[in-house]
Amino acid sequence: MGKHSIGRVEAFPPGKQSLVRVAGRTLGIFNINDEYYALHNLCPHNQAPVCLGDVGGTLLPSQPGEYIPGMEGEILRCPWHGWEFNIKTGSSLFDPAVKVTTYAVTVENGELVIEI
Amino acid sequence: MNAVAESLTVGEIASRGRETYRIIDCDVHHAAPDMAALQPYLPEPWRSKIVNSASHIGGLGYLSPAGHRRKDAIPPGGGMVGSDPEFLHRQLILENKVDLAILTGEMYGWNMHPNEDYANAVVQAFNSYTIEHWLEPYAQHFRGAITINSNDPHAAAAEIDRLGARPDMVMVIMGATSTRPYGQKYYHPIYAAAARHHLPIGVHPANAGVGIAHAVTAMGYPRTFFEYHTGLSTLFQIQLISLVAEGVFEKFPDLQFICIEGGVSWLPQLLWRMDKNYKTLRADAPWLKRLPSEYVLDHCTLTTQPLEEPPDPTWLLYIFEMIQAEKTLLYASDYPHWDFDANHVLARLPQHYKKAIFQDNAARVLRL
Repeated sequence: MGKHSIGRVEAFPPGKQSLVRVAGRTLGIFNINDEYYALHNLCPHNQAPVCLGDVGGTLLPSQPGEYIPGMEGEILRCPWHGWEFNIKTGSSLFDPAVKVTTYAVTVENGELVIEI
Repeated sequence: MNAVAESLTVGEIASRGRETYRIIDCDVHHAAPDMAALQPYLPEPWRSKIVNSASHIGGLGYLSPAGHRRKDAIPPGGGMVGSDPEFLHRQLILENKVDLAILTGEMYGWNMHPNEDYANAVVQAFNSYTIEHWLEPYAQHFRGAITINSNDPHAAAAEIDRLGARPDMVMVIMGATSTRPYGQKYYHPIYAAAARHHLPIGVHPANAGVGIAHAVTAMGYPRTFFEYHTGLSTLFQIQLISLVAEGVFEKFPDLQFICIEGGVSWLPQLLWRMDKNYKTLRADAPWLKRLPSEYVLDHCTLTTQPLEEPPDPTWLLYIFEMIQAEKTLLYASDYPHWDFDANHVLARLPQHYKKAIFQDNAARVLRL
């Protein structure tokens, strides 16, 4: 376990999706309304580089015939097979136990710090 | 930073315990950058018509929420995925350590265009484009499939005769959707031509419910891409039943069919149901001399992608046993489409299956 600074917060504005190399791992860094999230760039399905996928919204659980768009900007969709993950938790939308590994991100003296 | 390097490539997967076999990928979708790229190979009036998208087949409006193509396979210069030979060669052959890719294209569904003269010209042009831009420059790693318009069997046979002697063309490919079942006499000129050139016939889903096709299913049109895509296995079931029942494999004893991208695990049920019915109903097909399942297992192979992913991966081994996977399965990635398989289930296979599926079966059927 260690703390790793990955740069000034200004380099990670809201909506930006970045890849950084930390402690031998490639992480995707996401800023959702100035909350920061770090996800391992490795899909639990077939080890695809999941953080290269599109970020967007999804359709929320609903009744048959009902369409409820939501979670805009909070869903990462793997570039290979299109599995959807909640960026805030790393969990897939079809089974919360199927997850991309997440890492704690804090802001210290204006720097983003990842704990690995 | 190289994010992709963290992913296991299919080459690395296969090479675990690898002895001395090649990886042959039997379904790689190359494409022309745009229809204008086919113009040099088209006579008029088709040369002018091809660049007008209103002259194409159209679609049904099914939209995959994930998109239809692998997002990281867009060439660096932009354009269609699969349309840049150099980039495809780098991403699939070099980075994934595939030894030989069978280029299947994306044009086999033109059999559902209402104008068969136009469709014939387009598939011929695409074949010529493939030879000039893909097969000849990359002779070491690419082999081709002769795309035909199966809806005009005599023209299709002529195209097979035009290119069938080329050593770099190792397969004929046609769409899995047809206006009548593929076993029927109407299509036999295609099979005679393929047999003349010792070429197997690949069948790939395309344009189900589109153009002059019947409805996507016998129940009409499902609402979503999820339903449409899951149901594609049924195309192969209908076609295999017909090929067996019409005696195609008695009439063409060396003919091989390859079911591409239809899945695998439905096959045992089909074999057993046919065999059971045949015992009572054999007078419907008195020309058959063996059980239906025996024809299928001797004359048909299936590509692995999209391989089913059961909750317990070892269950696939039971299916493999039921379908004699050591002789009936061929590895395919479906690069660069969304349901690409760099498949970890294959990595856990016993060694004899890996050698057979990655190399031996394709080498036998495609005469590589």
